[in-house]
Amino acid sequence: MNKLKKSSPYNILTMLALILLALSFLFPLYWIITGSFKSQMVAVSATPAWFPLEPTVDNYIRLFKNPAVKWLTNTVFVSLASMVLVLLTASLAGYTLAKKRFYGRAFVFALIIASMALPKQVVLVPLVRIMDFLKLSDNPWAVILPTVGWPFGIFLMKQFSESIPNEVLESARIDGAGELRTFVSIVTPIIKPAFGALGIFTFINTWNDYFLQLIMLRSRANLTISLGIATLQSEYATNYGLQMAGAALGSIPIILIFIFFQKYFTQGITMGAVKG
Amino acid sequence: MTTAKPNQRGSSHNLMRKETIVSYLFLLPALLFFIGFVLLPMGLGLYTSFFNYTMKNPVSADTFVGLRHYIDLFGNPAFLQAVRNTVFLVIVTVPAVTLFSLWVSSFIYRIHAGLRSVFRIIFYLPVVTGTVAVVVVWKWIFHEYYGVLNYLLKSGGVIEKNISWLGSSTWAIWCIILIMFTTYVGQPIVLYVAALGNVDPSLIEAAKVDGATDMQVFWKIKWAQVMPTTLYIMVITTINTFQCFSLVQLLTRGGPSGSTNTVMYMLYETAFNLYDYGYANAMGVILAIMIGILSAMQFKVMSKEVSY
Amino acid sequence: MKKLALALAGTMVALSVAACGGTTATTTQGSAAGTTAKPAETTKAAETTKAPENTTAEAAKVELTWWVPPTFIQDKDAPAGTYEQQLVDAFTAENPNITIKVETIDFTTASEKITAAIEGGNAADILFDAPGRIIEYGKNGKLVPLGDMFTDEFVQDVGNDAMLSACMGNGEYYMYPLSASPFYMAINKDMWEASGAMEHVNLEGDRSWTTDDFEQAIIKLEAAGYNPGVLFCSGQGGDQGTRAFINNLYSSNTVNADRTAYAFDSENGIKALTKAQEWLDAGTLGNGVAYNGGGSIELFVAGTTSFETCWGTSAAGNNAATMEAAGVTPISLPFPSDDGKAELEYLVNGLCIFDNGDAAKADAAKLFIKWLADQTEAVTRTGAFPVMQSMGNLYPGDEEKALLSEFTKMYGPYYNTMDGFANMRAQWYGMLQKLHEGADPATIAKEAVTAANAGMNP
Repeated sequence: MNKLKKSSPYNILTMLALILLALSFLFPLYWIITGSFKSQMVAVSATPAWFPLEPTVDNYIRLFKNPAVKWLTNTVFVSLASMVLVLLTASLAGYTLAKKRFYGRAFVFALIIASMALPKQVVLVPLVRIMDFLKLSDNPWAVILPTVGWPFGIFLMKQFSESIPNEVLESARIDGAGELRTFVSIVTPIIKPAFGALGIFTFINTWNDYFLQLIMLRSRANLTISLGIATLQSEYATNYGLQMAGAALGSIPIILIFIFFQKYFTQGITMGAVKG
Repeated sequence: MTTAKPNQRGSSHNLMRKETIVSYLFLLPALLFFIGFVLLPMGLGLYTSFFNYTMKNPVSADTFVGLRHYIDLFGNPAFLQAVRNTVFLVIVTVPAVTLFSLWVSSFIYRIHAGLRSVFRIIFYLPVVTGTVAVVVVWKWIFHEYYGVLNYLLKSGGVIEKNISWLGSSTWAIWCIILIMFTTYVGQPIVLYVAALGNVDPSLIEAAKVDGATDMQVFWKIKWAQVMPTTLYIMVITTINTFQCFSLVQLLTRGGPSGSTNTVMYMLYETAFNLYDYGYANAMGVILAIMIGILSAMQFKVMSKEVSY
Repeated sequence: MKKLALALAGTMVALSVAACGGTTATTTQGSAAGTTAKPAETTKAAETTKAPENTTAEAAKVELTWWVPPTFIQDKDAPAGTYEQQLVDAFTAENPNITIKVETIDFTTASEKITAAIEGGNAADILFDAPGRIIEYGKNGKLVPLGDMFTDEFVQDVGNDAMLSACMGNGEYYMYPLSASPFYMAINKDMWEASGAMEHVNLEGDRSWTTDDFEQAIIKLEAAGYNPGVLFCSGQGGDQGTRAFINNLYSSNTVNADRTAYAFDSENGIKALTKAQEWLDAGTLGNGVAYNGGGSIELFVAGTTSFETCWGTSAAGNNAATMEAAGVTPISLPFPSDDGKAELEYLVNGLCIFDNGDAAKADAAKLFIKWLADQTEAVTRTGAFPVMQSMGNLYPGDEEKALLSEFTKMYGPYYNTMDGFANMRAQWYGMLQKLHEGADPATIAKEAVTAANAGMNP
């Protein structure tokens, strides 16, 4: 890795520009957090308060008079369940597609690739029907099941599994290990980083999903935090502080999770995309 | 319990059959979800797009209309506008996101690892923050009277009167593009940083020995080396842009005068506010075909460049 | 497990038989005053004289769900659904065999959510809403007809054909009305006084005023540097306010006289749009493309804009605290019109029952909505006027309400239940958006009306 040539004017300018850009990328988050401590009167003043000089926790008090805790637990449940199921199904399928030679393999893989490009929203009306048929409407599983069905995870796991050395699998075979045991004790440790990556990826994406949740969940007690924030925008005037409190509640936990698992995350994105 | 010798792998019919059974057993859980909640609804969507299927009319022989919805769509100015808007979003967003993230990455991949990681996190934050949270705060920032944007521009002397950003058919789509941009660059930056880090330093050294300038090194070597990444980024950004829905739904609901209406949003409106399910499904099919063609093209190019 | 299911099915059948007998008997039920004497322990079967004895409380458990948007005014700071839950608890105390689950839904996504649920065949049993959507569902065959609830006595008590027809679609009653209130406009007292605009306002009697008065006033407001009210037209909601505003300017109408077609492209309609465009250009009327009714109200109650064309009892009630904090004193006015005779739009709050193929549930639901509509507090919690005249004046000594009851005499024809209403709303907002961009009013009005009428028979 080559080092920066120190104090070249181009480098200094770029650095300054980047710092400015980074600050502007941080601004919405700053505005959410500070906004959540502003009273409505401060929030709608023509001269913005850069910092809430008279901070109020009213917005949070009001937020928790809504079933905000329930929204949060619903979100955690949906995200966790999706994550676990995605990991289970996708790792098995991805490994199989990468390392097994079987009839129909090319077809299955093509189908998965093709449907990955299609918009989820296209399936909207039929999906509503299917969920009703399964008696799952207005139920968190109506969000979880389609999330698990989405084949991105399979694709990612296949990319990862390509790197499993064939020799290792074959020596396991020679040792007489069963298929499932091979998978659990040989394959899983090798693709462990992929579990981290896909897991955190699915968790964050499900947490922040809006569309499926919008269609599938309805009653106030069953909403997720994304939907909850959206409903805080009432028919009669927006309470900005309240909305920002909701936004803070929805985003700060996931941001912390992201920063904590950052390494897995970047690893996942890169390994899935650049080279399996 | 396979006991076959490694060198026979794939060569024997019997073994292949055995592998097929095991393979499908392994694939079964994933395929169940995939077929039930992706393929089946897609098929149903396609099927019902040939019917005058509304809240009142069920799908039945009486309501079969063949290709009428498709023909109607191509004569529907609102739909054509939505297609144009969608394509416009792609044309602006994809190059902007790609070039910006390449520029940022080509700088930060060389700096101190800790600092690099800080930048990467910051540019990724809007993605993690979540669409709804991001949109509600931007909506406030863009607000005609209470927004920071107008305040800054006014105090900076750039504008004299408050501008209704979301209420202008000129500006509203740019507001959407701006938010899209901030939420789309995170992933490409991560990708580029990794790809640039993987460029073989000996290539660069060799070029420098031959007297190449920094610019030449960048375009001749690095750009060529990260080409697969660029293509991948363009594909995912294109698909994401095509699917843009929440921004429109939460920010402008397609207005003013349809200037921010996208195919995705129109589909949703048609189904859920105008109760015209069959027509909406036809839009979905057309959108799917549009994305399908584009992705196929890009995948084709990619498969030449990248070996999966 | 099997036994339980059988037992359940049996009681369902028993109940539905009992309930069917019951509904015809409700004819003899008294209206508002009569039902308050209902003994707490009576089950619904017992209440109806014909009902057989076999439906005891434990045999006939019915569980209903009730969807309510945030219309009821809650106690200070109580979240949506609190009062509704109190109502339901009181009802269940009187009718222990019927339990009701309250599900609050929000306005912004209500329409889509309800559609999704209907499409999925799992709508709630009871929905509280306005006629616009309810009648549309009814016409699409999704609701239980409520003709049997509109007894002669009830019809007489309402005594208002427009109100009754608002509850009807294709000649069938689908909505049971609770309360009604006019939509009108509001001005910011201090701004109008400070700018001298107040001298054009009539504060006597029913406060009728003219388009000329209004024009003079907004010119003064603009000169004094106050932000004008906005001609909002984004997304959904509140559009009735803009229709009333525009159509009163030169006494045009949204629909034709016999309510068979949309007609806001009349000569006077175009004249009004032209006038509005002139005001938009002059800055005496605000650009509202970015706002829906709620967004526009938000500006008014925060003291940002000087008048509001989407005002009503609910908006006033829900924003009282904000206005107090912002020091905004609203004054309610009818819309200005060329002849000084305004025609107002109005809201009817009511309930409907989804046809989920279960007669027992439908009958339990009917019992509940009848009970609810008889609660005077449920009426006052909507901030509106009762539809049953026998309830009398529920707001004695309230001057504002006395004024609003003057407004109720200005009700114009009710068109929210016409075919293609949802589509017309979209066309109307689309037209206003184009008006903002300087499009020719005649052209866009004709286009919008053509599209709206084309949407009447899809």
